[in-house]
Amino acid sequence: MALSNITLGQYYPADSAVHKLDPRVKIVLLIAVIVAIFLARNLLAFLPVIAFLALAARLSKVPVKLMLKGLKPLRFILILTFVLNLFFLQGETPLLDLGFAVIKKESLITAVHYSLRLILLVLASSLLTLTTAPVTLTDGLERLLSPLRVIHFPAHELAMMMTIALRFIPTLLEEADKIMKAQTARGADFESGNLIARAKAMVPLLVPLFVSAFRRAGDLAMAMEARCYHGGEGRTRLRVLRCEKRDYYACAAVALLIICVVLCGKIY
Amino acid sequence: MQIILDHVTHTYQPGSPFQATAIRDVSLEIRPGEFLALIGHTGSGKSTLAQHINGLLKPTEGRVLLDGQDIHEKGFNKKEVRRAVGLVFQYPEHQLFEESVEKDVAFGPKNLGLSEAEIKERVREALEKVGLSDQSIAEKSPFELSGGQMRRVAVAGVLAMRPEILVLDEPAAGLDPQSREDMLQLISELHRQGNTVVMISHSMDDVARFATRAVVMEKGGIAMEGAPEEIFRHAERLEKMGLDVPSVCKLGMLLREKGLAFPPDIFREDQAYDALTALWKGGKAHGAE
Repeated sequence: MALSNITLGQYYPADSAVHKLDPRVKIVLLIAVIVAIFLARNLLAFLPVIAFLALAARLSKVPVKLMLKGLKPLRFILILTFVLNLFFLQGETPLLDLGFAVIKKESLITAVHYSLRLILLVLASSLLTLTTAPVTLTDGLERLLSPLRVIHFPAHELAMMMTIALRFIPTLLEEADKIMKAQTARGADFESGNLIARAKAMVPLLVPLFVSAFRRAGDLAMAMEARCYHGGEGRTRLRVLRCEKRDYYACAAVALLIICVVLCGKIY
Repeated sequence: MQIILDHVTHTYQPGSPFQATAIRDVSLEIRPGEFLALIGHTGSGKSTLAQHINGLLKPTEGRVLLDGQDIHEKGFNKKEVRRAVGLVFQYPEHQLFEESVEKDVAFGPKNLGLSEAEIKERVREALEKVGLSDQSIAEKSPFELSGGQMRRVAVAGVLAMRPEILVLDEPAAGLDPQSREDMLQLISELHRQGNTVVMISHSMDDVARFATRAVVMEKGGIAMEGAPEEIFRHAERLEKMGLDVPSVCKLGMLLREKGLAFPPDIFREDQAYDALTALWKGGKAHGAE
């Protein structure tokens, strides 16, 4: 069935230094790497970023194929970015005359630059999601956002909501798959017809799915209350996040990366 | 109508890190008119097997034949299989969606493209079969019914397609004793009327009571196959697989341990009644001496 190959939360379990990094550190470092990518003013400045990501990917033991798979949904945007920049940007040095349009050197460089930036952004973020279990990720996010409690920002509640949502995505997908099969067994057709026919065909899937989601939500709320859950106040944790040596090494590596990127931009 | 699974293997998400082979090289013939019980531990591949019977899952390897024709061959109309084989999933009440019982049961026939009158007739017939012929129920929202009634509406939704082969995945799971008995009686009645029934069950008592043939699955393959009497003769092997034996078998084992001459190949309640009566009469005669 079509639903079985959707993998949300693409965590790839492995035993690696990147996996073991503190999620808080990983989130902050991802932001830093994104900043570095935007700081890169020319193609040369991308080199340290590429080298850094390649090294990190290698250390993470995540198969290259899986990493590149994250780019697949973006292929149209990538092609569009490249083509639009290539043809519609103003430039001075003609490079290639295609007859209907002239490709300029400057627009080619910008097209490559923008596409590369997009690719690197996606790769960097997927490196985070591939090496961090979703629940660990929300855990880290909660700790990072917790200082905002001072201004009544519900960090814990937000993290709990995200954790629950993430936890139930596979469950609901499974449920959707099951209902879809059950309705298919009754002759329902989800795959043909025009847009309106297909939207109509979703009703027998969506109604039971909503009913079950609400039922689950009710059950879960009851189970949480039965175990005295009352929000984040004074709650201790099973796994306390602690920064270790490797976290400091990682920070140093990213700091070095930013310096390299800035320097490369200056030199060229 | 005859279904043959020919060396069927099914692997979920092949090529991904979550790849899992649920059934491996399974060959099985579903004979017209039989009541086949599929037994096996959780994760032994029963449900996966069941979903191959009406073409919901496509075998990774092997073929599924309906009257000799490969149902996954190009040009074969899948609706043909869906009509011939009715599949009732586990907890089928979770798939109800219409605003009234009537409309929900009509969903299947409507998908078959039948005429208004024909649909109406089938809905009436299906609801009557499951014992919900009351017009007030037919107009109710399915979400207002009790759990047992919802289950029956869901089964009616499949029956309305008039399948010749009925596949049920644990139809009695999670029901109260009365609804459970009603459900089993309904299935048994459908079998008597000439439907072929394939039932996945964890209750060996039900298997002993109703099945004409049983298939035991273990780790994605068929471990044992035969009449229930033959299967239950291997109580030890079943227990090694983490499976139960009928309570009558257990009773027999206990009685034999105590030195009573309770015959070993008795699996059903009615047989046990006769055997116990004989024992009791014999014992009385013995005591009077």
